[in-house]
Amino acid sequence: MTSTACFVIVSRNDIPIYEAEVGSAPKKEEIAYQHQFVLHAALDIVQDLAWTTSAMFLKGVDRFNDLVVSVYVTAGHTRLMLLHDSRNEDGIKSFFQEVHELYIKILLNPLYLPGSRITSSHFDTKVRALARKYL
Amino acid sequence: MEPDVSMETMSTIRIAVVAVGGAIPAGRLREYAAAVGRHARVELSALASFYSEQQKSPFAHQPWDSGALRLRFVLGGSPPSPWEDFQSHRKILAVLALCHCPASPDLDIVAHHFAAACRPYPHALARRCFAFFPSDAQLREEKRDDIVLFPPSDVQKMEFHMLTMVQDLAASLLMEFEKCVLRTESAGTILKTPLDSQSSLGSEEVIKAKKRRLGRAQKTIGDYCLLAGSPVDANAHYSTAIELARLTGDVFWHAGALEGSVCALLVDRTGGRDPILEEEVKYRYYTVIQLYRRAFIQDNAQRVSTVSFELEAALKLARYLCRTELAKEVVELLMGAADGAKSLVDANDRLILYVEIARLFGTLGYQRKAAFFSRQVAQLYLQQDSASAAISAMQVLTMTTNAYHVQSRRTNPKLHAPAQELGTSHGDGKKMQPQSVVSLFESQWSSLQMVLLREILVSSVRAGDPLSAWSAAARLLRSFYPLITPAGQSGLASSLANSADRLPVGTRCADPALPFIRLHSFPLHPSQMDIIKRNPLKKEWWTGSAPSGPFIYTPFSKGGTTDNSKEEITWVVGEPVQVLVELANPCSFDLVVESIYLSVHSGNFDAFPVSVNLPPNTAKVILLSGIPTKVGPISIPGCIVHCFGVITEHLFRDVDNLLLGAAQGLVLSDPFRCCGSGKLKNVSFPNISVVPPLPLLVSHVVGGNSSTILYEGEIRDIRICLTNAGTVPVEQAHITLSGKNQDSVISMAHDKLTSALPLKPGGEVTFTVTLKAWQLSLADSEVDASRNSSSSARRISKEGSSPLLAIYYAGPSTNSDESENKEASVPPGRRLVLPLNVCVLQGLRFVKARLLSMEIPAHVSDSFPKPTNINQSSTEEDDDVQDKDGSLVKIDPYKGCWGIRLLELELSNPTDVVFEVNVSVQLDNPTDEHTPVRDYESADIRYRKTRIDREYSARVLIPLENFKLPVLDGSVFLKDSQTDESAGNKAFSVTERNAKAELNASINNLISKIKVQWQSGRNSSGELNIKEATQAALQASVMDILLPDPLTFGFRIANTSVEIGELGDQSSKNPIAAHEMTQMEVLIRNNTKETIEMSLNVTCKDVAGENCFEGNSATVLWAGVLGDINLKVPPLEEVAHSFSLYFLVPGDYTLQAAAGITNATDVLRARARADSAEEPIFCRGSPFHVRVTGTA
Repeated sequence: MTSTACFVIVSRNDIPIYEAEVGSAPKKEEIAYQHQFVLHAALDIVQDLAWTTSAMFLKGVDRFNDLVVSVYVTAGHTRLMLLHDSRNEDGIKSFFQEVHELYIKILLNPLYLPGSRITSSHFDTKVRALARKYL
Repeated sequence: MEPDVSMETMSTIRIAVVAVGGAIPAGRLREYAAAVGRHARVELSALASFYSEQQKSPFAHQPWDSGALRLRFVLGGSPPSPWEDFQSHRKILAVLALCHCPASPDLDIVAHHFAAACRPYPHALARRCFAFFPSDAQLREEKRDDIVLFPPSDVQKMEFHMLTMVQDLAASLLMEFEKCVLRTESAGTILKTPLDSQSSLGSEEVIKAKKRRLGRAQKTIGDYCLLAGSPVDANAHYSTAIELARLTGDVFWHAGALEGSVCALLVDRTGGRDPILEEEVKYRYYTVIQLYRRAFIQDNAQRVSTVSFELEAALKLARYLCRTELAKEVVELLMGAADGAKSLVDANDRLILYVEIARLFGTLGYQRKAAFFSRQVAQLYLQQDSASAAISAMQVLTMTTNAYHVQSRRTNPKLHAPAQELGTSHGDGKKMQPQSVVSLFESQWSSLQMVLLREILVSSVRAGDPLSAWSAAARLLRSFYPLITPAGQSGLASSLANSADRLPVGTRCADPALPFIRLHSFPLHPSQMDIIKRNPLKKEWWTGSAPSGPFIYTPFSKGGTTDNSKEEITWVVGEPVQVLVELANPCSFDLVVESIYLSVHSGNFDAFPVSVNLPPNTAKVILLSGIPTKVGPISIPGCIVHCFGVITEHLFRDVDNLLLGAAQGLVLSDPFRCCGSGKLKNVSFPNISVVPPLPLLVSHVVGGNSSTILYEGEIRDIRICLTNAGTVPVEQAHITLSGKNQDSVISMAHDKLTSALPLKPGGEVTFTVTLKAWQLSLADSEVDASRNSSSSARRISKEGSSPLLAIYYAGPSTNSDESENKEASVPPGRRLVLPLNVCVLQGLRFVKARLLSMEIPAHVSDSFPKPTNINQSSTEEDDDVQDKDGSLVKIDPYKGCWGIRLLELELSNPTDVVFEVNVSVQLDNPTDEHTPVRDYESADIRYRKTRIDREYSARVLIPLENFKLPVLDGSVFLKDSQTDESAGNKAFSVTERNAKAELNASINNLISKIKVQWQSGRNSSGELNIKEATQAALQASVMDILLPDPLTFGFRIANTSVEIGELGDQSSKNPIAAHEMTQMEVLIRNNTKETIEMSLNVTCKDVAGENCFEGNSATVLWAGVLGDINLKVPPLEEVAHSFSLYFLVPGDYTLQAAAGITNATDVLRARARADSAEEPIFCRGSPFHVRVTGTA
């Protein structure tokens, strides 16, 4: 498991609908903010890059210092973004694919308004488990 | 590192601009600097006149017709760079001093200053001092070489002057460059950079340096060529330099020369940009970057580093390529540059790097990236501990607010526009798509936004900008209060207060803080002030325009109605209006709103401020009021709030959007719900229009506005006073009734009101409304009985059952100003709804009515009741009537007729007051006009009125004998008598119907004559409604009451011609004595229109009821015929039959006449209700009483 990783799901309207610090490093609030700032800035690049490839998984699209941003863009243009310091590309890809499946299950919930915040604790638990497994 | 570098930077000449002499006012200095700065490019062709070729120019290929010198004015100068030898453009090549003569009268001192100012710039090749606005004395002074005086003149002339001077400066620079080049070519100038190690100059090093010198010199010459605007020459020199550097392995200078060659290439091909050139530039620059990287020497990295050159080169390339098509490449370059930041030693370099990266990302359209690096810049600034750095940090952070969507309203006034659109579309009541709702709250990275706002707050506090601090704290508190701990909220509140302390009183801020304000409702006009649209085409102008078609609902008008669905409100100039708004304070501190009032942008409204105190976590509904001042539409977008020492405008729409988001779960929290306020329907803002002043009627009931308490059936006058409190006269007024129990209003003085028109402002009119309290219905009583099931089940009228008076009134119908626009010129009218506050109590209750016919025998005694005076007189009148009409039938009931019929009314008094009942019968006697009402005593003859104590019942008797018709007419019985005849006869049925109607009319007439009036206390009086009950009671036996007997009998003493009935009165004068022969007559009157044949019998009975004429002990002797007298009475006439009586015993006797009618007609049979034609018809007269005096 990587020491630092921040996972965020950003809706097509650029709103973060799910956030999780999944790294094993001790959590500090300021660092978490910094991670979010990096992820937020990476959206600009993703927005251009997403249309240049047919792949959903965009490898390290952006980096800041030693942190890399990997992005997975779903067909509905929801972006799964991971800030990480590891180079385990296969693990990240699998992580994204599995989270995508979870996200689709959330979308299938008729009570979930697409684009609103994901508050399911079940989803949260699953995502953290996946992070432990793959990252 | 230097900011704002580009590839062309190498071709610019740096000129320091410094101020000398006395202090120049800031505005002036800016003006002068701007005037100088305008000449950043000087055409070579323009220089020609100032240029003099002293020796052969080294710039062989100078483009005199198309080339130019690029000047860069550095205001305030800059410290010398260690890399000046490496790149000549880094040197300050000229000094330009500015002097404001009025501030520095002594030019010698100025010259001294100027010399001092030039000292830090040893490389300056030219020096000039410009002095502006010299005085006459200074102009008259000897002309000086060192100071150029600009004679005072207009702007245009000064511009021209400045241009000339700059061209002169450029020309002298050009000449100096020539000298430099020649000097560099000839002399062995040692060109060094900090990279070259000074300490260890070993022999090997010296040889190496010598080899390199030539290449470096070539590069320097190339630099000067570039500066002199001769790219071709520069290119030639650079090519040589590159070759030499490559040979000598002088990597750093190689890179520098290569960079210079690119610059020369670009300057040469100025304007044109083709892919081949671009490829060439790209290729060369990547080489440059590579070379700089190679020049990086680890051992002296601590002292000097070439990293900054590498990064600068990368930035230059990025700037050159900065287009969206090449975004990917630029991003790569910039990210590489950002990575290089770590290896930069100097914090300032890092700052410049981040600034440049942010700028380039911004140019590329990557706002979020730009914001990210701007924030990095701000953090670097914040690490410096100075106020100016803090100001810079604040400004940089403010630039990022757009990307993070936390911008202040002040910087982005456009924020209003989309909100407005949203507000209207929502106001139309159309259901918004969930997706579009989501898009409202785009990019809500709340944690980032909070961090950013907090940083802005910190930096602006440090920078000493209280307004920015206030604004940031307000935004933070308003948007993110649910995410902030109570302690943090209080901290923000105190920072708001602290900032406000340092702001002047009355400062306005574009960003609202707390509280949250939403529109609650518009209190409707009180019903006294309703405004009614006037329909000028109708007489009853208050009624709405009738629908055009026969259908109430037309499908085609549907489109139109949606537009009208928005509520319209009309306000009147000069009349105070009120709006309810709800305030919420979701934070954990006491919020003191110093003043709040409606914000009106249309400028025709005076709002009244109020102050509110909101405890923690509370919401409050408050009433805001104001007065419209001018005619026209009013829009109220929000409220102006003075809170935390600053005045802000709070828009209703923002909160509406927030609540909308909260409803969808997209926003953190609903501030109103968390304060415990209920969910409110979204109030759409109505169209408000202001109309010119209207009249205003104010009403009050004379004698108090409290409700009038009336007993059922009570009649009372209510006087209503109307006052015109407006400023316009009332010209039209109409009263209409509405509401329940309208028929209880008996009369209204319409004419009194209309006669008072026009009612001037301040005028008053009083009119009377007569009310008759209605009967309480059963439902009312049940409700009340259940409510207070105590002993007395009093019945009180329900609320709202009172009738309403609606007074429609209006001012002048036309306005002389706007006679053209007729539709609009009709000002609306008004409606005053005046509830007649009547509280009806259960009063005297009518239980039942019945007809008593035989039950009460006529009381015959000596002490016969004396009729009252009125009765007396009316009896006399009756006698007159009898004389005229011969109507014997109207016999006074107290004279002993036993055929009397009484209507008994049973009344009960469930109330707690005493009632007095007064029965009156109205006689429609034409001769009785002056005394139309005759009062009769009820059962208790001693009292004129019946007193009914509380919770008692009483019976009132009404004699009905007087209603008999004078003539027994067959027409009454038409129906009865003709039943067996052909009923199909049409003509007959008409008469039958007529007769029936006549009968009914006479019954109604009879009933309407009987009035039961009551009185209670001093001023309560009314009438009991007994019509239905009486009618029911009388219906069965109406014939008996109305119709007279066919024959009427009477007795009188023949010699005195006085009826025996009246003997009671005259007994003292003319007694009938025993043992005397008394001459008597019996009178028989025929009440029919036909002659009646009969056989008459007269009987006399004593008190025991024994027949006195016959039997063993006959006590009366008689003369004449008393039995079986055959008589024929002509119609409507009377016949007398005489006889004599001799009473043996004194005492009381009763005389009675009876007749058997022979050959009775159908009418008579019908009257007698005979079943068959054979039945004999008898007619018996009333008994007459005789008192015989004397001794036995």
